[in-house]
Amino acid sequence: MFHPGGVHGARHIAQSLHHVKNAIRGTCSSKLLMQQKAAAAVAVESKKGTVTPPPTGPAPTAPAAPNSVEVYIDDKMVMVEPGTTVLQAAALAGVEIPRFCYHDRLSIAGNCRMCLVEVEKSVKPVASCAMPVMKGMRVKTNSPMTRKAREGVMEFLLMNHPLDCPICDQGGECDLQDQSMMFGSDRSRFTDIKFDGKRAVEDKNIGPLIKTIMNRCIHCTRCIRFGSEVAGVDDLGTTGRGNEMQVGTYVEKLFASELSGNVIDLCPVGALTSKPYAFTYRPWELRKHESVDVMDGLGSAILVNSRGGEIIRILPRVHEGINEEWISDKTRFVYDGLKRQRLTQPMLKNSQGLLEPVDWEDALSGIAARINRVPGQEMAALVGGLCDVEALTALKDLMNRLGCETLCTEESFPMNAAGTDLRSNYLLNTKITGVEEADLVLLIGTNIRFEAPVLNARIRKAYLHNNLRIASIGERVDLRYETDFLGDSVHVLAQLADGDHKYSEILSKAKKPMIIVGSSSLQHGDGTAVLANAIVLADSLRSKMSSNGDESDWKVLNVLHRHANQVGALDLGYKAGPSAIKQMQPKVLFMMGADDGVVQRRDLAGDAFVIYQGHHGDKGAEMADAVLPGAAYTEKYATYVNTEGRAQRGNVAVTPPGMAREDWKILRALSEFVRGSSVLPYDSLDEVRKRLAEIAPHLTRYGQVEDANYFRQSKDLVWNAARPGHSGQTLPAQQRELEDFYMTNTISRASRTMAKCVTAARHQKSTRYGL
Amino acid sequence: MALRNGITSMLRQAAIVKQHCPASRLSTTTTMHLDANNNDLATLNKTRLDTTEGKSLNEIGLGPMDRTKDFDTRIELDVQDDLTSFNGVPKEHTKGRTVRIYVPARNQMQSATNNSHLWKLDFDVRERWENPLIGWASTGDPLSNMQLNFKSKESAIAFAQKNGWEFVVEEPQPAWQYKHKSYGYNFSWNKRTRVSTK
Amino acid sequence: MLPSIVRAATRYVSPSTVSRGIASSTPVLSSHLFVHRDTDYNNPDVPFEFSPDNMKRIEAILAQFPDGHKRAGVIPILDLAQRQHGWLPISAMHKVAEVLDMPRMRVYEVATFYTMFNRQPTGKYHVQVCTTTPCMLCGAEAVRERLKEKLGIDKGQTTKDGMFTLSEVECLGACVNAPMIQVNDDFYEDLSLKDVDDIIDNLRAGKRPTPGPRNGRTCSEPIAGLTSLTEEPKGPGFGLQAGL
Repeated sequence: MFHPGGVHGARHIAQSLHHVKNAIRGTCSSKLLMQQKAAAAVAVESKKGTVTPPPTGPAPTAPAAPNSVEVYIDDKMVMVEPGTTVLQAAALAGVEIPRFCYHDRLSIAGNCRMCLVEVEKSVKPVASCAMPVMKGMRVKTNSPMTRKAREGVMEFLLMNHPLDCPICDQGGECDLQDQSMMFGSDRSRFTDIKFDGKRAVEDKNIGPLIKTIMNRCIHCTRCIRFGSEVAGVDDLGTTGRGNEMQVGTYVEKLFASELSGNVIDLCPVGALTSKPYAFTYRPWELRKHESVDVMDGLGSAILVNSRGGEIIRILPRVHEGINEEWISDKTRFVYDGLKRQRLTQPMLKNSQGLLEPVDWEDALSGIAARINRVPGQEMAALVGGLCDVEALTALKDLMNRLGCETLCTEESFPMNAAGTDLRSNYLLNTKITGVEEADLVLLIGTNIRFEAPVLNARIRKAYLHNNLRIASIGERVDLRYETDFLGDSVHVLAQLADGDHKYSEILSKAKKPMIIVGSSSLQHGDGTAVLANAIVLADSLRSKMSSNGDESDWKVLNVLHRHANQVGALDLGYKAGPSAIKQMQPKVLFMMGADDGVVQRRDLAGDAFVIYQGHHGDKGAEMADAVLPGAAYTEKYATYVNTEGRAQRGNVAVTPPGMAREDWKILRALSEFVRGSSVLPYDSLDEVRKRLAEIAPHLTRYGQVEDANYFRQSKDLVWNAARPGHSGQTLPAQQRELEDFYMTNTISRASRTMAKCVTAARHQKSTRYGL
Repeated sequence: MALRNGITSMLRQAAIVKQHCPASRLSTTTTMHLDANNNDLATLNKTRLDTTEGKSLNEIGLGPMDRTKDFDTRIELDVQDDLTSFNGVPKEHTKGRTVRIYVPARNQMQSATNNSHLWKLDFDVRERWENPLIGWASTGDPLSNMQLNFKSKESAIAFAQKNGWEFVVEEPQPAWQYKHKSYGYNFSWNKRTRVSTK
Repeated sequence: MLPSIVRAATRYVSPSTVSRGIASSTPVLSSHLFVHRDTDYNNPDVPFEFSPDNMKRIEAILAQFPDGHKRAGVIPILDLAQRQHGWLPISAMHKVAEVLDMPRMRVYEVATFYTMFNRQPTGKYHVQVCTTTPCMLCGAEAVRERLKEKLGIDKGQTTKDGMFTLSEVECLGACVNAPMIQVNDDFYEDLSLKDVDDIIDNLRAGKRPTPGPRNGRTCSEPIAGLTSLTEEPKGPGFGLQAGL
């Protein structure tokens, strides 16, 4: 895209950038305004003599260290811990220094030089991202020297950067674009009189998710550092040297990480962009809806981007307690699954036994006619892991009013001893952030890398920065960090619980141990023994901690769920597992989002009537006699409780397709048709949520984690019950390899992008380079 | 009453400005900055509002197109004021709806944080569709294009209350905790932080 | 009115006070690719194993580095692999990664960074002509042309019989003996074109020409004998104060 013979290369860039920027301004007229307001706010604060960071965002709060030193950023004093970098100190003072290679959550590279600032008494400008502060240092972030340094860096960066902003997907949200407008020169000295053009670099094929246009790369190495530090997958690197250095994989290879999509966000230019999003829309055309992810049990914070009635892409949001700022590839790219295989019309089976589209009234009255014929004791409900709390409440209220008490989740859980009666038995009690305080993590029967990729990234972070030690029991899997492998069956866990394993001593010496039990191991034949032994082991570790004088009430036991709202369902009193349904052989089965196929036709009475309510045509709808189209997670105001027990609100990004409706509304409507006084007493979302607060107040304390307790009682109950025996079989990992990661629920099974990922992962495994 | 008329005309003008905004037809933006909490400027602003009847938003320095005027202008409004009876918004656009008051998330595609230092207020989402004529996104909900920015949560709440809107406040999550970083960690002799070669 | 506008516009377009330099150099690019392409002679299935002797050498090399820092040995071990195989196929890089227990990409990075790792098949004799400034001034270009002619190949190529590979390299640190070539580990310095022919003929005949300067001098001493430092070296303690 260089201009042959053009003598004003950078001016062309500036023009094209300006063009793009103007278009941005058209919609975001508040941006400049807010900059001024923020500046004004800082100015006001500084007059008062104290500098406080802005209310939100990544500007950190200053540590109140007693030995802090004073630093002057643009003549404004801040007190910081010795060893803080100049860039961080400036952030504390509310001054944002431009950067490309520096990232808060990656190591410091110091190679882009964009953060050069003038420091008084220093001859040369200083790279503020790597320079530690010194006492009394005076930093000038907007002096002529600083500005000239930035302009020079911009000039060098733009010398080899193509002028393809108009066709670049990063256009409009590109750091290079913005910073060249803010800090770059207004004219170019770049000439190309020999017509040999700018640096040209071959594009790499690193998989179906990330599109690479390597000409645009400015060698910030953020993607490489992400790979080796956060994801633990050293597939990316730099080859060659000097002007010919390039970022890539050297051999043609998939970037084999379940977190790979994050490099798209990290890339400050358009070198790594999203393949599914390529050439669709400009960022300023999109509406942004803050929401909650349902692809795993963590409930990562996401930002759903939509245009018209369509979801265009999903980005992460920062949530320090859950996902920091990473999301897994499934979370990010699953959205095309929301457009395929959807149920858009109510359906009833006709006399030929075929599902036939009907309107809502016919569907509801048809279902009510069948329900009214059956007594409550012969009805049952089965819910999947994607159902929101509001819908679960409505379903439970409705079924209870009809006299039905058999409401189960698809996911099972050992019901021995306290079972799901004590909340502490099924929560991730230490919270996700507990990983950062822990000094030993024992993983039991979980491939946490694929069951909760973001949590695994946090474990890896603690492994790198806090020297966290990790031990594992269960099928051996590659977690991208070193683990002490103790054994593959519950036998080892039982030995640990009894304290006669050689690792027991190491465990008991740990100051803050964490035991993370994967929910899949609890569904294994030895599941009861896994939970019982884990409870006993956790209790003994807790009592050791308290006998060592630890008053912190550190909760050792953690259960990691794989489904978005399994905890919500258990909190509402749903029974874990379909065994009750299989025993009673119900005549009416109401399935809501139950698509894992744990209950088949053969488990029901011969003439059973199956109602399926959900958003995708999958295993559930296949066996149904009546289908009610519900809303997917991006289409409803809904609450989800993650594996920590944190209730979070998801918001609507687009409205449900066709005749599909929000799930609680469908149930509310159905309650008008069924027998007796079953009409549900809520008409609006607010009233549903009031009802939620009646049942379990923590479900409406959004964003908060409701602590659970009674560990000792739980352990006593385990002691009192007979110690469960175990077969000693290997505790299998449900998702062994990368290819198993992508398609785990009804939305991801409908996604073509996810299918492509599976193909790519399989193909990569079969090549000579392997995964 | 003068104050009320001022507000009314302001809101009407806002609608006019919106229609005439040429920058983008895809999603037109109206931006207003209101802060009910600062009493220092109360008298000044009251006078100012009293004298600005019948003028456009641009003229009183609140219009979206005008960036040169003083943006720290604060308008003191009586919280007891209820604008619902005369703000002219058709009932079908607000009945049964909830506004959400929140701090917008930073765009993860970029490093800068500037547009996440404010409070936003917007309505719940109603149906949107792609207009088959030319591919524009259409909606039947005029309030969906309204983006209101506030300096504080309280002023956003006050504004919603005044307009009689049901609201939900989304508290921001705790901000990023300061973490000590050093270039030297890349070369630590005995730590695992020496993981990357970059 | 109009002339003044034109004047103003002219002033704006050509500001007489601003001078603009024109950069006109063309970067010389490497003849190597910095991505790997599988070929039938260079792919991960090409067998590569270190010989038992080299395994011992690897142990000796790694013994120099403390635990946890073994990957610092990647350069000497890659060199060992190259010496064993003649050049560095991708399978050798993989083997090095395996030996050092480090990610393959990190080995590729090192192997592509250093130009003395040959990632393409190289002849038995790797003839490297230095053409950096001092050598160039002393006739390195003529040496290069003579080599091309003599070997019948261009720079960066290998003869059909697999005997010779010709490369043009940057300074090899023998400027005082310019012009010079390096054949495998041997320096041939102070070359005339006849010397070039002579060296190649000898190599073809399977002999190893004596390395060093070809014009008769020792190392980098002046050809006409020493002009300074001609006396016996002073013994220890020379020039010290009596008191010390």
